[in-house]
Amino acid sequence: MSGAATWISAADVPALYEGAKFYAPAVGDASRSSLTSWLTGLLEREGPVPLHRVETMAPETPCVSLCVLGSGSALADLPPAGDEFVSAIRQIEQLQGVRFGAVYPLAAATVSALVPVAAAAQLGVPLLDADGMGRAFALIHHTAMHLAGISPTPLVAYGPTGDSVLVDARTGLRADLLLRAGLDALGGWAALASYPTTAGALRRGALPGTISRIANVGRVLLQQNDPDLLISRLAAITGCRRLGRGRISELEQLSRPTDGSIPAHPSSVVIDEIDGQRRQLRIELRSEIVAVFANGELIAGAPDLLCLVDVARGTLATLDSLERGDLVDVLVTPGDAVWYSDEGMAMVGLNFHGIPLDHPRRLRGEA
Amino acid sequence: MSQSPSTLPITLGGLVRIQPLAGASRLHFADPLRQVEQVVLAQTFERMRRCAPHVLVVLHDTAAAGGWSLAAALHLAWERNVSAVVVSRTIAGSAGAALAERLNMTLLAIDTDPVDVALQLAGQVSAPAAARALGQALCAERLAEQTNVRGVLGVLNSELQNMPVALVIGETAVAGRVAALQDKTKARRVEVEVQGPGEQPWARLVAAVPVNGPMAVEQVESLLRLARPSLQAAWAQTRLDSTVHSAHEQAAFGLLRRLAAEPVHDAPAVQPEIETPSWSSELGWQVDGANRAVWITPLRPSGEPSEEVTHLVRAAWQRGRTHWPLVVDSDSWISWHSSEEPDDVGPLRRAVTAFRDSAEAHRLVIGVGQAHPGVAGLLRSVAEARLAAHVAREQGPAGVQWFDQVGASAALAWLPTTEIAQVADLCLAELMDARDRMALVQTVLAVLDCGGSLSQASQRLGVHRNTVLARLTRARQLGLAYDEPEQRLALHVLCYALAALWTQAGAED
Repeated sequence: MSGAATWISAADVPALYEGAKFYAPAVGDASRSSLTSWLTGLLEREGPVPLHRVETMAPETPCVSLCVLGSGSALADLPPAGDEFVSAIRQIEQLQGVRFGAVYPLAAATVSALVPVAAAAQLGVPLLDADGMGRAFALIHHTAMHLAGISPTPLVAYGPTGDSVLVDARTGLRADLLLRAGLDALGGWAALASYPTTAGALRRGALPGTISRIANVGRVLLQQNDPDLLISRLAAITGCRRLGRGRISELEQLSRPTDGSIPAHPSSVVIDEIDGQRRQLRIELRSEIVAVFANGELIAGAPDLLCLVDVARGTLATLDSLERGDLVDVLVTPGDAVWYSDEGMAMVGLNFHGIPLDHPRRLRGEA
Repeated sequence: MSQSPSTLPITLGGLVRIQPLAGASRLHFADPLRQVEQVVLAQTFERMRRCAPHVLVVLHDTAAAGGWSLAAALHLAWERNVSAVVVSRTIAGSAGAALAERLNMTLLAIDTDPVDVALQLAGQVSAPAAARALGQALCAERLAEQTNVRGVLGVLNSELQNMPVALVIGETAVAGRVAALQDKTKARRVEVEVQGPGEQPWARLVAAVPVNGPMAVEQVESLLRLARPSLQAAWAQTRLDSTVHSAHEQAAFGLLRRLAAEPVHDAPAVQPEIETPSWSSELGWQVDGANRAVWITPLRPSGEPSEEVTHLVRAAWQRGRTHWPLVVDSDSWISWHSSEEPDDVGPLRRAVTAFRDSAEAHRLVIGVGQAHPGVAGLLRSVAEARLAAHVAREQGPAGVQWFDQVGASAALAWLPTTEIAQVADLCLAELMDARDRMALVQTVLAVLDCGGSLSQASQRLGVHRNTVLARLTRARQLGLAYDEPEQRLALHVLCYALAALWTQAGAED
């Protein structure tokens, strides 16, 4: 990818996948091969997809976001037929009487970062180098667009069985609730087309450059197996830093009560630091790594992006692969600035995850 | 005991001895002496942030939600210098215990409702004197359950935690922790006297109380007083059955002997600065100081003494000196006095004097050894006393001989006088048949003792020099050729043996 308008080709797929994983470390690798081979074949057939920065698009260009809603394992069990994303978009087009001129990912993370590439190739429209989260959050209204006043509805969820749900709700939260109620019937996952808007609205509402960023992060991850070098190179791109290196001493399931607001069970990972101050690092998990405590002191937390690097392999450690005795690095990457605003914090901050503590960046005066 | 109870805050150690915390699991127990000035029921982390130092925090609700909350609470507790954190057992996992240990923060896990526990604790902390009294009552129960001296001292030392307590006789710790006797600039010594039978002072309980410690001197004193009846009972019990006691003492002394016989590095008791073997404290023995042994033996040994005789000798010897040992050793008895001051012979001299009548009655003689330190020193002193006792036999019943005054001539006491006398019957038959044989033998002995000086010999015998000369002539005629060099030593020994035998016989008559 180079120049003002860059291209995403079949060769970029592995890097995109790895980079997308960095921004959503909670998601496993179950659907990796089916998705990447589908997308690679598609790009080889249809040719590369143009990647446009939002500001290079005409402001009135209609745009729509795409993502995969639901469980990754359901996606692996029931792989996409291939037309789900295009069909979802077509339904909104019919409803609104528009023709979308570009697509963009709802979250430039997880498989949701790949499906807009596939849809753009199928529709023959450009992909916007922007997204709504800059990482992955649990609920569909946890987006920068929502904070900018762009409605997620009307939205369509199109399942692998060919059924679809169209939702028009007054608030993002209600839209999320209505969607999830029908998700199981749709097949456990669904292609979600949402936030139909214009490129002009996205200039102020979306987070720019996030597709290029995951591609760059992915390349670093694919090239580098030395954990120290990997982290220093990732730091150059993402601003991440290592919180500590240690060995996992305990995995606690259902370690604290859940309020049911997020479709994931709380659990904890306890890591004994092997160097430095030899602190006890406690990692709280939900649909993502929510917080990191060092000797009980909160040192990082949502909306920071937290992930683990498997030191022995020099790769990212997905949360479903952790075992007692693993040596891991704990990395923290700052989220986009919008998430540290009062509104952003209220939506995706620690309180949302049931941790009523002040964010360490606030305490340090960084946010 | 002071009339006004101490107002010092209660300590963590005090709180965990009584309910509800007595039933709590100690996931980490940092410092039992840590004071608890207040109890806080923390529902939120905001409440924890407002905690003053030295409070005990009971976690509840949001602050005890599980997972990260205990870790965060422990960290805040550490930041606020809290005394301890109490939490429901359901959320206190091994990671929480590990973090508590890392932060050195006391963490107690309870099974009951945290609110109830906090309320009870608040009551205890607000009335520390009442809580302490309850603790003391429980301690009294534990003391009453003890059946031996070590058990009583064990309870006291666990109750008083970092304050060493020892049972002291004289200046020697016979049980407990010797540290109680060591001079510490920042500790105050508390002493409580323990009386033996007949209101006689027997021992003292000594505790070293840190000057700025969490426990008031009165409180320590009252605990020591509580222990007195148990100590007296334990002590009395060991003496109720004199047979068992006697066997116990014999076995223990045998063990001491073995200790001293082992190589130095295997026998810590040989080093005087090393603590007394713990089993000796059960008997009230002191062997740490300078030990001066006493060997009490019959004038005419006739096998192991009967239990009755031992009982009588014990009663006479230990009158007023109840803690002095009396160990049966084959046909004799061993006792000793241990003192910090090696030259301090006053108590022993008085004891020997007081025992004289009984010695006379039971036809006993007494040997006293020199003072030597430690277990090895005691055994050496015993050997000396035994030697001295042999010499004392020359003096007849109630003879007392101090080893210091015997020296090399003690060797003579070991001569088999009876056998030598039989030799005399054969070799010097004429002399032995003579009616004046006693005078003749004593005269020859005196001349030989005086290196051949007739004048010195006559002075010693109290007779005229010519008498000496006449007796020597007659003795030579009867076969006592004392002036023949090759026979002089043999005749000297023979005369000594005959004289000693006749003196003893005379004394017995």
